Amino acid sequence: MSISSLRRLILILLLIVLGVALSIANPAFLTMGNLMTLLQEAALYGIVALGMTFVLITAEIDISIGAVIAITSMVCVNFLVHTQIPVPLFVPVAVGVGALIGVFNGFFITRFKLPDFIVTLATRGILSGLAILIAVKEGGFVSNVFIQNPVYLWFGSELGPTHVVTIVFFLLAIGAHFLLKHTRFGTNVYATGANINAARLSGVNTNRTIIGVYALVGTCASLAAIFISSRMMTALPELGIGQEMDVIASVVIGGTAFSGGIGDIPGTVLGVLFLALIKNGILKLGISPFLQPIVIGGLIVVTVVVDTWYRRLAERMISQAALRRRAAANAAARA
Amino acid sequence: MMANIESQASSILLECHKITKSYSGVVVLREVDFSLKHAEIHALVGENGAGKSTLIKVITGVTPRDSGTIVFDGHDLPVDHTKAAALNLGIGVIYQELSLIPGLTVAQNIFLTREPLLPGIGLINYKKMNADAQALIDKYKFPLKATSPIESLSIAHRQLVEILKALSGNAKLIIMDEPTSTLTSSETTLLFEIIRQLKASGVTVVYISHRMEEVYALSDRVTVLRDGKLVTVLEKEQISPAEIIRLMIGRTLTADETKRAMSRKNGKPVLEVKGLTSVGRFYEISFSLAKGEILGIAGLVGSGRTEVVRAIFGIDPFNTGEVLLNGKPYKPSVSRAIASGFGLVPEDRRQQGIMAIIPMTKNIGVTNLDTISKVSWVSGRKEMALCHLGIDLLKIRPKNPDINVGNLSGGNQQKVVVGKWLVRNLKVLIIDEPTAGIDIGAKDELYETIQRLAREGVSVICVSSDLPELTRLVDRIIVLREGRIVKEFAEGHVTEEDVLKASSGILEGGNHDN
Amino acid sequence: MTIKAFLAQFRLLFIVLALGAVLAMIYPRFLTASNLMNVLWSVCVIAIMCTGAIYTPITGGIDLSVGSVAAIASIVVNHLMNVMGMPMWPSLLITLVIGTVIGLVNGVVVAKFKVTGFIVTMAAKTYLFGLAMLISNGAMIGIYEPKAFLFIGTGRVLGIPVPVYIMLVITVLSHFLLKNTVFGRQVIAVGANDVTAKLSGVDPDRTRMIAYSISSFTATLAGIILASLTQQAYAVAAQGYEFNVIIALVVGGTSLLGGSGSVFGALLGAILVGFIDNGLNLMNVPSAYHPIVTGLVILGALILNTGVERPKWLKLPARPTKIVTRVEPHPGD
Repeated sequence: MSISSLRRLILILLLIVLGVALSIANPAFLTMGNLMTLLQEAALYGIVALGMTFVLITAEIDISIGAVIAITSMVCVNFLVHTQIPVPLFVPVAVGVGALIGVFNGFFITRFKLPDFIVTLATRGILSGLAILIAVKEGGFVSNVFIQNPVYLWFGSELGPTHVVTIVFFLLAIGAHFLLKHTRFGTNVYATGANINAARLSGVNTNRTIIGVYALVGTCASLAAIFISSRMMTALPELGIGQEMDVIASVVIGGTAFSGGIGDIPGTVLGVLFLALIKNGILKLGISPFLQPIVIGGLIVVTVVVDTWYRRLAERMISQAALRRRAAANAAARA
Repeated sequence: MMANIESQASSILLECHKITKSYSGVVVLREVDFSLKHAEIHALVGENGAGKSTLIKVITGVTPRDSGTIVFDGHDLPVDHTKAAALNLGIGVIYQELSLIPGLTVAQNIFLTREPLLPGIGLINYKKMNADAQALIDKYKFPLKATSPIESLSIAHRQLVEILKALSGNAKLIIMDEPTSTLTSSETTLLFEIIRQLKASGVTVVYISHRMEEVYALSDRVTVLRDGKLVTVLEKEQISPAEIIRLMIGRTLTADETKRAMSRKNGKPVLEVKGLTSVGRFYEISFSLAKGEILGIAGLVGSGRTEVVRAIFGIDPFNTGEVLLNGKPYKPSVSRAIASGFGLVPEDRRQQGIMAIIPMTKNIGVTNLDTISKVSWVSGRKEMALCHLGIDLLKIRPKNPDINVGNLSGGNQQKVVVGKWLVRNLKVLIIDEPTAGIDIGAKDELYETIQRLAREGVSVICVSSDLPELTRLVDRIIVLREGRIVKEFAEGHVTEEDVLKASSGILEGGNHDN
Repeated sequence: MTIKAFLAQFRLLFIVLALGAVLAMIYPRFLTASNLMNVLWSVCVIAIMCTGAIYTPITGGIDLSVGSVAAIASIVVNHLMNVMGMPMWPSLLITLVIGTVIGLVNGVVVAKFKVTGFIVTMAAKTYLFGLAMLISNGAMIGIYEPKAFLFIGTGRVLGIPVPVYIMLVITVLSHFLLKNTVFGRQVIAVGANDVTAKLSGVDPDRTRMIAYSISSFTATLAGIILASLTQQAYAVAAQGYEFNVIIALVVGGTSLLGGSGSVFGALLGAILVGFIDNGLNLMNVPSAYHPIVTGLVILGALILNTGVERPKWLKLPARPTKIVTRVEPHPGD
């Protein structure tokens, strides 16, 4: 079995073990209601994780997605409060905001050759400030707008036994999977991340690919913002800020490598579920919620260390094998 | 533009006329004519610096030419034509650093950016892609599977994928740059078969290599370049390894200058290497180095020379063998090497020899922190003095110690690299390709420095592909071939031809000692 | 130092002085003692962080955890002194040691496990924040004693606040560490080209581990001072400070790709950021909007700095950017 399949298997097993452990610790865990809530929680930021997968595979990073969520939700709130524009008309605009920000990020990174985390760090700052700027205010203070628009609230509502966002997440996951594995763009994403020089030599437009993945994750972030604010029935400009780590964690745990060229959507979905289980578990077990960032941060470090170490080991074994092959051939030639 | 029917009839695929190219005022190609026929195997040979790589870069569009015409398959290529244009016309190149993507399969690599799509939706038609790839593989009878991941393939097989990549783009010309330097002999044989197949299917292959027996075995014609000029084009009947070598070197110099007397220095050896072996890289390397001796290590690319000196300096480990320093057992490590008086000027000057974005003072200083500091406090004065010492000893220009080394010319950069060792108490200096890419003036100054060092009692190991350099500079030459020492020139006169023949595995009667 | 770098240094000084002058002219309030005090204390904390944080970008990495380290430092030092009742000096010492070890852990993961600095420190930022919240239960803890401790942040000597002295001393120390010690030379070498550095006898792993340790050390120091100055230990307090630290470093001439940096430049950068923040306050721009300006400043400074002398053929270190440098052919090919 290949390394990645083994890794996937281990993750699935851990997922099952975790699920079992949580149900034993708290019988209320295994109820339909709780499981559906869990899936909904997973789906909300899971949508962003789908886009982030593409970014990480190209060996880039985007830490502005939290701020994108913030500003998009503020845009929506403004539309709801200050205009009569129907929801189906302004939602595409709001999603377009995320796409635009992504293009902006990608442009600065490729055109000016700036480091990705600094550009998205700067964008994050700019956008978080802008979010507060355009927030709906009352008497100079940001008001906690209570969203009542039924069309908008549909995004956060239930659908049969489950929720709208859960269905959307899985549908998007399927779409993302096809985009990644079955289109030229997806192949270019892998190529750019695995070996950017070779990709260019082979004719891949790496700049366009990189801008594309940033646009993608930006779009996912703004889409998620709509679901999140709809479910919470309110939106504050802090919405999403600080969630970057969770999103990155789910993608990394799911098997995508920082060094690029490795990863896929099924892995990310597993990672999203895994993270949701942990967060839900911490909540249900009544232990301190502050444990959450500790666990998530720790998981990221451990996962990346183990993955990096293992891959270097594999590489070393391959080059050793190549050397041994040369040696054998050399010996044979002299014999 | 319509294909010129006349050029088809005359079976000329590529016609280059009076190609000239200079870099920063240095003329690299001088009115070179180069022509290729359809369906031939054409070797391009010449020493390092003869202009082969530049000619290829001009043809493939990597760099624009200054003047001259290029007509490929009836199409005129403008002076600044692009890579994409060349690719579209059917010119394919396979460099030593392959352009394959790990994580993708053979088929995916072959069809990258050109994957067949399912009608209407824009999704990749994997079935067709794999089938097409396999068909292509089978057509040339390559031992490959379209669905194998690239990482599982050996270098030899990856080269085959590169070839298929070019072929799938309907290449009429495939240029291969030193394709066999990392292959075993059986893999090489396989590659030859494939090249012949390509010829049979109408593709022209340009084969750049230093390996004379390969050129001899494969080529229909050989173009020999020397010092940026075309020397001659040999037809099949005229090709013999010895003849090619003669033409490559062909300097009409006096007897004194062509032959150089080798001499073995006596005295207790400073460095002894016994049976050094690193599986897959080099085997049973044994030699000794006397005080003040300049030992040259010759051999073709891939013969293991750099690997040997890296092992001696302590960068790479080795499996068996031992090293003795002044008669005492010595376990190589970088820090021990530097403390014991070793110095290394690496082959890749830009990526390993210099720190480009910082000034000369720091470049020289970092290797000498022990002498310019006391209890961790660095004396800026001493560092500057050391830098000036280096500048004076090596005549580094400009004399400004604050210039970032990346802004110096190649020759001066190399002087900085040498300089950082020179200012130390050196016992053994290892230089790998001392004058690659350096102008004549700096070359001479470096040679003078090396010889002065030797006179002062420093032993020098000089790895070089520059034959005049070897034969003129060193006292003794050992020749490596496929990881083993095949010849030692220690007495009498030796010519550049002798060295190249030994490197290429062509030994003739009337040898020197062996 | 090349003439160009020298002038570049001065250029920053002129910009800072110019900005100060403009602010003073438009807002006479700028020059009042109380306003300058405000500027001073925010500059001090950031500047102190910069003096150590500068070493990680010079080696080609980055430390995004400095804010969380400062937060944990403030919580830990308070916990040691006021919950466990330890005397002040041992508490300070232990806190500093703990902080430095946190940095060492980051450094080990970066150097020995070959994981890029920014993800290691970004994860550290997250779990340290969680840890800080856990210990303090998320509360804003007032610190009222020991009085000696409060003197560190709020006291004055000869009319000048103590943190300013600490900032000046540590800036000078760091400057000399970088410019005049063996370690300083090694840090620059590793950042410029760690292969060449290794071939010249430098140990890149050890150098990186020390760099990350130093970064956390100064962040810890800054956290202690922040706690004393604001008289509170609050996990949320220093969140986002790494942003300002990075701006100060970049504006001050430190390249994020490695190989160069200026401690005094970073100090000027910190002052500049302090002036910008203060100026925005004087304009009654709510502090929530400040990151808009500072974000634009980072982008601007980075774009301007890309003109800096990197030869086109120089291969960039593995992670920071994805752009290929085309190998320019040289005569003899």
